[in-house]
Amino acid sequence: MMWLSGGFIFRRGTSVYHRLDPRVKLLISSLMFVTTLLVRSLYELAMVIAFMVAVAAVATVLRRVARTMALTFIFSTVIFVLNLIVTKNLETSALYAVRFVAIVVSTSLFFITTSPDELEQVMKTFRLPRDVVFAFVTAVRFIPVMMLDTLQIMDAQKSRGLELEKGNIIRRVRNMIPVLIPLVVNSVVRSGELAEAMESRAYGAVRRPTSLVEYKASWADKVVAFAAVAIFVLTAYSFYFVLPTTVL
Amino acid sequence: MIEFQDVSFVHQNGVIALDRVSVKIEAGETVAIVGENGAGKTTLVKHVTGLLKPSTGSVLVDGIDTRASSTAALSRKVGVAFQNPDHQLFSESVEEEMAFALRNFGFTAELVENRVSWGLRLFGLEEYRKSSPLVLSGGEKKRLTLACIMAWDPDVVILDEPTVGQDAIQKEKLTGTIRMLGSTGKTVIVVSHDIEFLWPIQPRVVVMKEGRILGDGPASRLMQERELLSSARVAQPQLVAFYQALDPRPKDPFVDPLEARRWVAGRAEIT
Repeated sequence: MMWLSGGFIFRRGTSVYHRLDPRVKLLISSLMFVTTLLVRSLYELAMVIAFMVAVAAVATVLRRVARTMALTFIFSTVIFVLNLIVTKNLETSALYAVRFVAIVVSTSLFFITTSPDELEQVMKTFRLPRDVVFAFVTAVRFIPVMMLDTLQIMDAQKSRGLELEKGNIIRRVRNMIPVLIPLVVNSVVRSGELAEAMESRAYGAVRRPTSLVEYKASWADKVVAFAAVAIFVLTAYSFYFVLPTTVL
Repeated sequence: MIEFQDVSFVHQNGVIALDRVSVKIEAGETVAIVGENGAGKTTLVKHVTGLLKPSTGSVLVDGIDTRASSTAALSRKVGVAFQNPDHQLFSESVEEEMAFALRNFGFTAELVENRVSWGLRLFGLEEYRKSSPLVLSGGEKKRLTLACIMAWDPDVVILDEPTVGQDAIQKEKLTGTIRMLGSTGKTVIVVSHDIEFLWPIQPRVVVMKEGRILGDGPASRLMQERELLSSARVAQPQLVAFYQALDPRPKDPFVDPLEARRWVAGRAEIT
């Protein structure tokens, strides 16, 4: 489970991509996201995924992107089967299933290379309400903590004879109750403690608190952002006016 | 008997948590595992329950290789009280919480009832029988996790950092519980930073550092080895440090912790 979760959790890195301004990384991920929605054939989608893999290689997170793909496998299989039943078209079904993987990978590339602090700064740039930013960033920041809690709770219950991997699907779901209840209770307790700790450190005392770090895009960031937009425009243009495609 | 045979364990991120550890723990022994954070103490005990399987080497519990057995099967022999009781409490009532493992092990309803009543009495939790385990105090929750384990009567009891968040009275009670477990022939393994808590129990002490065993022996001897403890970032018990600071003469017997007060008083008179 921890192996799979690694596909979405940020870890510090020193690659060129990690060092980019977070707003540029958000721009690149957003453009990749939109491009996956523009594709009209598996051939085009393969090109977009190849580009994502190249970005992941530059960011030295190929293995972790592979985990993201592994994580989406079950969902994309469901999408494929449902589409196949409804449309009875193999290529369309495959396109939707693979598109889902591409969408998740484009989002994952942003989250695994952007720290919660950077994420906070990005959200502040868009002048989102402070409470919303704080809630979202805290949720992201606590994902690894929750994962660790889950593993510890599973260990504790397995040590009391609970067999999580045995039985049919209904029994397995029922066996998760001793894991889910402590997880939820701990999370609620933790959120209460966090709220108290924040209030005791003057959270909300001023409407617009100052920031420790103010991001300023360097010329390199601007070049990368410009290149990303240019590639996006060229790709979108080629999809619709150059490459032969099957309109779905 | 628990036997670690040249056990190494490497985490997925490549960190070596255990490095060629070999140690034997005989049935009925009380053993304390000490060492700084990240020394590999909890990783070591997780191998006893089969929660972790060795990367190389083998762990035998009563002759059973933990790699060939599930945690659920091993837990019939080995009970673990984890550091944070909130990681296991989930039932509607204290008695249901205690019955959880017993039902998992297939105990009859009558036996479950008997064991639950016995455990509640033993740990002074009878008045909370119908209460939610979530409303108990930290000390009571800790006692409940111990009661849950004792209810199924495992041969080996592992306590992971049992004194965290416990007041002095609770610590004394825990000391009594560990002595009681030892006297009933249980193998007790205590993972703890709290040397002052361990000292009166006088366990066999295994000192760990960076996944290796630095020292292994009776507390009375090992706790005098200042350099060894210092390199493992383990504090000496105050009584031992005090004794050594007094610069004892060779004829002075090393003090039994239970006789400490009398010894110190006698020494003061001589001085």
